[in-house]
Amino acid sequence: MIARDVCERVLQRAASTGADYAEIFAEYTVDNGIRMITGKVDAVDDTVIAGAGIRVFKGLRSVMASTVDTSEAGLMRCAERAAEALGQGDAAMTIRLRERLFGDVHPVRVAPVSVPNDEKVSVLREADAAARNYDACIKRTSCSLISVDHSILIATSEGLYTQDRQIRTRLVMTAVAEKNGETQTGSANPGYRMGMEMFEGLVDPTAVGIEAARQAAVMAGAGYCPAGVMPVAIGNGFGGVIFHEACGHSLEASSVAYGVSQFAGKLGQKIANEKVTAIDDGTIPNAWGSINIDDEGTPARKNVLIEKGILKSYMIDKMGGRRMNMESTGSARRESYAYATTSRMTNTYIAPGEDSDESIIASMEYGLYAKKMGGGSVNPATGEFNFAVNEGYLVRNGKICEPVRGASLVGKGSEAIQKIDMVSAELELGQGMCGSSSGSIPVNVGEPMIRVSSITVGGR
Amino acid sequence: MKYEDFKAAVIAAAQSEGLTDYELYYVSDESTSVDTFGHEVKSFTDATSGGACFRCIAGGKMGYASTEQLSEETARAVVLRAKENAAVLETEEEVFLSEGGKTYADVRRKAYPLPTPEKLIETVLAGQKAIYAADSAVIDGSETGAETFRHSVAIYNSRGLDVKSDHSGAVYYTVAVVSDGNEMNDSYEIKIGSFDELDIPAAAAKAAADAKSKLGAGVAPTGNYPVIFAPKAMADLLTTFSGVFSAENARKGFSRLMGKEGETIAAPCVTLTDDPFYAEAPMPMAFDAEGSPTFTKNLVENGVLKTLLHNLKSAAAMGKTTTGNAAKRGYNGAVEIRPFTLFLAPGDLTEEELLARAGNGVYIDFLGGLHAGANPISGDFSLQSAGYMIENGKKTRAVRSFTVAGNFYDLLKQITAVANNIELRNMGSVTGFAAPAVLVNGLSVAGE
Repeated sequence: MIARDVCERVLQRAASTGADYAEIFAEYTVDNGIRMITGKVDAVDDTVIAGAGIRVFKGLRSVMASTVDTSEAGLMRCAERAAEALGQGDAAMTIRLRERLFGDVHPVRVAPVSVPNDEKVSVLREADAAARNYDACIKRTSCSLISVDHSILIATSEGLYTQDRQIRTRLVMTAVAEKNGETQTGSANPGYRMGMEMFEGLVDPTAVGIEAARQAAVMAGAGYCPAGVMPVAIGNGFGGVIFHEACGHSLEASSVAYGVSQFAGKLGQKIANEKVTAIDDGTIPNAWGSINIDDEGTPARKNVLIEKGILKSYMIDKMGGRRMNMESTGSARRESYAYATTSRMTNTYIAPGEDSDESIIASMEYGLYAKKMGGGSVNPATGEFNFAVNEGYLVRNGKICEPVRGASLVGKGSEAIQKIDMVSAELELGQGMCGSSSGSIPVNVGEPMIRVSSITVGGR
Repeated sequence: MKYEDFKAAVIAAAQSEGLTDYELYYVSDESTSVDTFGHEVKSFTDATSGGACFRCIAGGKMGYASTEQLSEETARAVVLRAKENAAVLETEEEVFLSEGGKTYADVRRKAYPLPTPEKLIETVLAGQKAIYAADSAVIDGSETGAETFRHSVAIYNSRGLDVKSDHSGAVYYTVAVVSDGNEMNDSYEIKIGSFDELDIPAAAAKAAADAKSKLGAGVAPTGNYPVIFAPKAMADLLTTFSGVFSAENARKGFSRLMGKEGETIAAPCVTLTDDPFYAEAPMPMAFDAEGSPTFTKNLVENGVLKTLLHNLKSAAAMGKTTTGNAAKRGYNGAVEIRPFTLFLAPGDLTEEELLARAGNGVYIDFLGGLHAGANPISGDFSLQSAGYMIENGKKTRAVRSFTVAGNFYDLLKQITAVANNIELRNMGSVTGFAAPAVLVNGLSVAGE
């Protein structure tokens, strides 16, 4: 993308006003999406994103400048803007870059950019037909095949020069059901860090269509969820969004390093129920949130965040590490060159426990079974979170009863993780896009079924 | 390569491909921003982004392709890709490009000088000083930031359309984080416009007081209450559900308002207006993303649906004329429909009078997780909330971590009174939402 000697000169310029660290992040990304609405291809998104962001640090201060002009002259101007913003003065840093190859633990066989549009459309057609044939109440569908081919280059004043190519594919399916004038939606959105071979066995478009339609059909017949404080069983897979929001964001250096986290200063302390072990693992082969290296060039790793309730680690980027006097945990991520990197999650999940799904449901006299969760958000400072329940059922006397819609869960992260008192054995991951200050990035959330002994359920 | 040169290269490539109907849409964004930690600058960002989207009609379909790199080579590539992408489309809808030669409103505003980087730094450091001085409960993690932005849009097409707009402005925000030693809370203030009119201590005091007022707040008791949504919260609800007014959504069955023009869909006190020239909005727009002239219109007038929002495609399909509400997310992507500044017209009551009318209920000034807890298709919402109890017509104790649930379509009919305290929610973009406080006759609250 950008030659090593060019990077050396640009970094030297960037560091010329006294920086103690300089970095180039350049990318060339082909973003492709084909959308089908109720059986007809309705839009094709096709975008090339390309540019570079230059960051310089001096102590605890960071400066970033970005540009779409990745010629040497353009990068030099960008480096100059960064250097000028950092300070005055004349400092010289001799930079000799050495190319590092970190390998690729996420092999891709079929690069989506090389697959013709009509082959992608046939995947959509299959998912769409499966959804619409599921039940007469399925009136409309929206189905997209998204593929991202994201090549990055990172060069730093520490001598690192490296590249990575991150290919991701995802099928995003929404089905809309109508019963008695009420409209409800269901969705299924599997994705992997791989190419079109995802559809050779791993993801079955028919199954995706059916799952979205099933949810929509169930929820269209459902009454509203009653409101109140009750025990809740949260299903596996995307249910892990509860940990992502309730705790994950509060364990990122971007809040911990500045004291704006309910978990700042609590390493080694018991912050969760002893049933809870939680992990952020960027190394899972071909997983949606996986990386070989983070966006500062640090290799991805498996970070145990909480072990049997004890806080073991935060998720840290380089600048966060400076403030916290800790090493980077390979957690630096950014949506694109136009965003300044910060600490983020990769694949974050609650590890399997020893309970069973059956015993969790059986333990509840009256409560909610949140089978499929929607999205949510959190304020890391207060720990207050919220989630939508996309598919919920009331539980009475240990039995799953009628479906209920419109439920949400709210609470405080530090309290909710104390109340996770049962953890099942069957872990599953679910895919999402996580938005934060460094943009929107792919992450997996995950968990086995868990029970939260009491939580506020919003409904009516 | 500069935009004008890229445009020439695209025109040449399109002509050599035999294309006669095409458009180039270009966006350029520049921003300089500073934020803080303690009494120091934490980070400084100087970002340039943007790109060009080429679309063309080939075989009766509209194909798109976009790039952030402008060169002879990419000019040719977008033309070829757009043509190829058109071939895969199956919708049997007519496609449109705007004709040239239209007249547009004059949206020039009195320009103010943008703060220099030095002024940005000086301002945010003063902001931090003010926030720490505002209250002894303010702690580290409180943050003041400022940004200057430049946003340019240009549209050129083969029918003679050639329009441009340039906007610039400044944004200031301050976040107060407070602690009582036991728990933390935060609140923020945002100001858009010239820093000469910025009252730094007032913004700090307001953020700190608001954050502190909810420290140690309890939970609202579960029940069905009259609810007042404060201006910010009501504007957030409008933001979340504005898609129900899109004619394209209605046509595709993603809104319940299809064919409802002329019918009563809201209480008589509800008038909703879309104004591309809203006085406080930082980016008044004379043309939409298709180059159509924009204008102010009522969507709902005294409860009656007057019009949905249209672009060229939805208008043609429904036998209407465009309302000039074509919009794009960034430079790339398809033409969709969005309001400019959508506002709920203020009523005559003061907020105190509204509270008196509510009697006993809940006052909600914060809604969280709108992207998750609200379903823009069904209209259902169940949202994390914070605010105050209303007892005997007055705001009393602070409450948080509860939910309010309802349905947006029903809510429009359940509004019984509208206050006069309209506020604009706009983070420095073309689209914004404004609302005064409203009283809703009964909604479900889940707390303790």
